[in-house]
Amino acid sequence: MVNNPLQSFFEAKSIAIFGASSEIEKPGYVIAENFLKNFVGKTYLINPKGGEILGQPVYKSIFDFDDPVEEAVIIVPAKYVPSTMEDCAKKGIKSVVIITGGFKEIGEEGKTLQKRIDEIAKENNIRVVGPNCIGLFYPKRGIDMVFLPDSKLTRPKKGGISILTQSGAFGSAFLDIMGTLGNGNYLSKFVSYGNASDINEADILEYFGEDPETKIILAYLEGFNEGKRFIEAARKVSLKKPIIAIKANRNEAGAHAVASHTASLAANDAVTDALFREAGIIRVYTWDELFDCMVAFNSSLLPEGNRVLIITDGGGAGVMASDSVGELGLELAQLSPAIHDKMKEDLPAFFSVENPIDLTGSATAKEYIYSLEQTKDDPNIDSITYIIIPTPPAINVKDLMEGLKPYAKTMNKTITFCALGGAEAVYIREELEQMNFPFYPTPARAIYGIDKLTEYADFLRDHGQKLPIIREIPK
Amino acid sequence: MKIDSKSIDVAYKEGRDFLLEHEALKIFESVGITFPPNALVNDTKEALAFAKKVGYPVVIKAMSPEILHKSDYKAVVIGINDDDDLKAKFDDMKKRLAKYNLEGILIEKQVKKGIELIIGMNIDPTFGPVVAFGIGGILVEAISDVTFRLCPTTKERALRMINEIKTQKMLNGFRGLPPVDRDALAEMIVKVSKLAIDLEDYIKEIDLNPIIANEDGVYGVDARIILKKK
Repeated sequence: MVNNPLQSFFEAKSIAIFGASSEIEKPGYVIAENFLKNFVGKTYLINPKGGEILGQPVYKSIFDFDDPVEEAVIIVPAKYVPSTMEDCAKKGIKSVVIITGGFKEIGEEGKTLQKRIDEIAKENNIRVVGPNCIGLFYPKRGIDMVFLPDSKLTRPKKGGISILTQSGAFGSAFLDIMGTLGNGNYLSKFVSYGNASDINEADILEYFGEDPETKIILAYLEGFNEGKRFIEAARKVSLKKPIIAIKANRNEAGAHAVASHTASLAANDAVTDALFREAGIIRVYTWDELFDCMVAFNSSLLPEGNRVLIITDGGGAGVMASDSVGELGLELAQLSPAIHDKMKEDLPAFFSVENPIDLTGSATAKEYIYSLEQTKDDPNIDSITYIIIPTPPAINVKDLMEGLKPYAKTMNKTITFCALGGAEAVYIREELEQMNFPFYPTPARAIYGIDKLTEYADFLRDHGQKLPIIREIPK
Repeated sequence: MKIDSKSIDVAYKEGRDFLLEHEALKIFESVGITFPPNALVNDTKEALAFAKKVGYPVVIKAMSPEILHKSDYKAVVIGINDDDDLKAKFDDMKKRLAKYNLEGILIEKQVKKGIELIIGMNIDPTFGPVVAFGIGGILVEAISDVTFRLCPTTKERALRMINEIKTQKMLNGFRGLPPVDRDALAEMIVKVSKLAIDLEDYIKEIDLNPIIANEDGVYGVDARIILKKK
């Protein structure tokens, strides 16, 4: 890797926490506890008050011990950040994360303070993440600067998704969702970069692009520090792994007087839209879409084409899913004649073996599994949406879930799931998420997931790339 | 290719922040962007001689530093079919617009009917210079079917831009018109995007609107260059 500054942040073997606190409701306590419990390297706690936290000594100063330190997390009040930075410089620390807020975002006084820390960083070759952020999270090595306690924010476990976020609040809520979803194995690396006084969205994207542990990149952006560089980096990264991005603050006008048609057409968001598409970034607009893409990319395969099969026991749900297939420019697959004929013969005469395959209110778990078994290798089908309405009397949902479990390990075609209803639908959701299958609460969203996978697969083929396998097979 | 940008100095000297169309044409033509045969003329004799050389129909446009939006002044007359018509329309235009400090009349061979498109350039506050391509003509802002790329762009990217606009039907042989020459169009997009970078210090916005794609090729038919304030 070409010396991406973030590498040393994630690989540091020793970390000093400036502003470690013994008061359990303070961020300085939560971060100290996170590191003491989980960090695979050495943790040094610093606070002028001294004392101890969870049996570990708190040093009054970074100079009270001789061991070298590679990285620092700063949580002290804003006015003490410059002097803390100077201590870091003297100690030879080159990677600093400043969690503290109260800088550029609060106005003139904060700007001056931020300028001061920029100067100290430059003079001493220190790289900075933040300020005004929730820092880094890397479950594999127990780097966890998220100051929100794990009783309130469930940490996701080791997985293939890396997140870069301008908003700490957005990032923390999304982490919590990932932590409580299915088996929770989702996260590779998380960077909340806040005011980006030094390291910005383009640096992070480049780093994730090169990082072999990162299979999928999620980005939440409100603005850009280096827009052009971000797009140029994305062009390269998107050929290797999907970048799913929200660019919020869409009404931010390119407000300047214009004399040409082009300029009036180029309202900022239209340009962002086009440049994202060109760079292969999968742009999403809402929280739901981000979530839907995340589960699709993390838990399914990229399809070979745009032909979708719908398997369901509910006529209405099948029609709605078919509508979505048409609206999104996908195609309804036609079963191979041999498979069609066999299914027609094996299943009750009143089942519809077309597309959708409608197993009707007489469906059983056995017939659901049978339908998947027959179609999963059909070369005329690129992806399958499996929509379960669990209410018919003959469907035993436990049997159905047991029957699907082997497929979680062997499924070699793109598939998304949906269950509609109450308690049993919730049960199905939980079971499928445990199997690391992508589950959606509505047919439209299950098809949307397929659409985004198809779009990205098309983009890769169009650019002469092979389709990467992202989905990790559960043990 | 050497860019003929002398007119930029002239415009700045005259305190203008835009180029007259015949000035913009010089720049575009010097980088190989195609326009119909054209000339800046001062009297009917020159106009008739030009028409004789290129054939009718022709279009005449008044060139004045006081006229930026030509349609507001009826400063464009199209569909001129013979010598008498040309004499009459030419004299009328000169008389009507005499008070606007005319630098001359731009006379052009009128191109055959075709699909109207737009290629443009704008400096985005976030991403810097971007080139635009889309459906052009008078409905351009109403339809808003346009896409963008960073400048400079490549032919491959430009071809993707053409594939990206929603109104593909218009490009594939619409209402008896031949399909648009995507190759020529892509090259034109690339040239505009390069011009934006080569003249980045001077040019703020570019409009080639409309560009007409017809059976003979792809032609700029109206051109506008807005300069950065000096």
